[in-house]
Amino acid sequence: RPPRSTPKPSSAASDVYKRQVHGDYLIDMESIDWSQPIRDGTTIMAVVYDGGVMLGADSRTTGGALIYNRVSDKIEPIHKRIFCLRSGASAHTQKIAQLCRLYIGQLGSELEETPPVYSAAKIIQSFIYNYKSFLSAAMICAGWDPIKGPQIYTIPLGGTLVRENIATGGSGSAYMSGFCDTHYKAGMTRKECRDFMIQSISLAMFRDSSSGGIIRLLDITKDGVSREYISHDQLPLKQNNYSQSCLLYTSDAADEGLGVDLGGR
Amino acid sequence: QMCIRDRYQRRVHGDQGFVIKMAGSGYDYDVSTLSPEGKIYQVEYAMKATENSSTILGMVCKDGVLLGTEKLIVSEMMVSGSDRRVYSVTKQIGMVITGLLPDGRCLIDRAKEESASFQKQYGIPITGKVLADRIAQFMHMNTIYLWARPYGCNIIIAAFDEFGGPTLHLIDPSGQCFGYFGCAAGKGRQIARNEIEKLGAKNLTCKEAAFNMAKILHKCHEEMKEKKFELEMSWICPETGMTHQMLPKDMQKEMEIRAQETLEKEAMADVQSQIMKNINICLLYTSD
Repeated sequence: RPPRSTPKPSSAASDVYKRQVHGDYLIDMESIDWSQPIRDGTTIMAVVYDGGVMLGADSRTTGGALIYNRVSDKIEPIHKRIFCLRSGASAHTQKIAQLCRLYIGQLGSELEETPPVYSAAKIIQSFIYNYKSFLSAAMICAGWDPIKGPQIYTIPLGGTLVRENIATGGSGSAYMSGFCDTHYKAGMTRKECRDFMIQSISLAMFRDSSSGGIIRLLDITKDGVSREYISHDQLPLKQNNYSQSCLLYTSDAADEGLGVDLGGR
Repeated sequence: QMCIRDRYQRRVHGDQGFVIKMAGSGYDYDVSTLSPEGKIYQVEYAMKATENSSTILGMVCKDGVLLGTEKLIVSEMMVSGSDRRVYSVTKQIGMVITGLLPDGRCLIDRAKEESASFQKQYGIPITGKVLADRIAQFMHMNTIYLWARPYGCNIIIAAFDEFGGPTLHLIDPSGQCFGYFGCAAGKGRQIARNEIEKLGAKNLTCKEAAFNMAKILHKCHEEMKEKKFELEMSWICPETGMTHQMLPKDMQKEMEIRAQETLEKEAMADVQSQIMKNINICLLYTSD
């Protein structure tokens, strides 16, 4: 047997809490800063295209400098055709989404119709606005309903409710706002929308330390909902491999022709 | 074999306990008692409260909904229009009441509260079907507890919303609620229901159907011709931007006059055709 590289941990009861075993790794619990709340630092984004709405998010959940979950799912279902994206403190946003799901379920059975996306957004807004001094949550509610079609509503920190065709949120959104402003156009096709979102979220993940991992995408149309994820080796900007990150586009993306030449480094 | 209530009657009231004074005979003292036939007599008595009251009507037309009621003028000294029966619950929902009017007004207040809280929570105006279900549940609550009595009124809720279009619901004191294309309650309900069925309002616009509604209301009132009455009509139609409004006063007056004239003409035509039949019979006999 190879010699131990670390000293054998003591088995005294008071010391047991200091170590946690996860698979092959031993985590020294004392060296972690537990005072930082667990956050979805995040990059989240939603875009209305011709025929539906597409939601995208990164997958990093952090607590200070520790990444709690590198493959987290920030896209929460509210109803069959209504979803929301979470950013801010994870506990707060998860609770709000759970309550919204409860109320919209009740509304759906009372109306016996697909509930309007506006109602889901209104419920989220009422929580964020009325408890704004206790919560740190910013959410994007998006979906499809038979009366108004595809819709997106942003509810930022203070509790405003705004309807938009393209919405971004989270700490990473600042790094992609220039790109979005330049390249967004109304009435994109599904493929154009998907490529646009993958590019912008990659750019945000590339620069923001609280965003990273994989890109999760969700597509909502009249006919159904489909999920996918873009794993780290398929990202246009490869974060792990520094030499390849000098290329801003892979060849596939260039062929799609977003039409911008940012040059090499 | 005697059931518990019969034994109680005999013990408390002696032999007189079994003199049947009315149909209920002991099972009708409170609303929380079921009779052996399976009826709740208090609820049936509540429905009787509306059977002899003013007629209310509702019709769904091609492009909207109509509501109407006839009101007996109780006193010459009363300010006209102060005895309201038709109310707007929200911009696009109207309600009309008959029976015990204070009970009805309490229900209208409740409907306003329900609509406001629904809009506050969900951001969309309440739909007709949801409001009718909630009011029906509310009325039904008063038929299960010992300390409450049923609401003695029938109400018709007319609504227009994005989900169901124009809708009409009739709710009775037992809490039963159904959606209708045309419905009536009150004293003249049989006449009204026949007339509405004959009319086929689904193919008429609101404007055309409003005249027919005035006519039907006058017809319902014919048995009590000596007593003065006035009509209250309202509609939800494209002319009002699909909001619930009372019929404009001059339009209502003009329709009432036309309705009365038409009814008189029809009555005259009936009499004339009777006379013609008799004359033909006489001629038959004098020809020889």
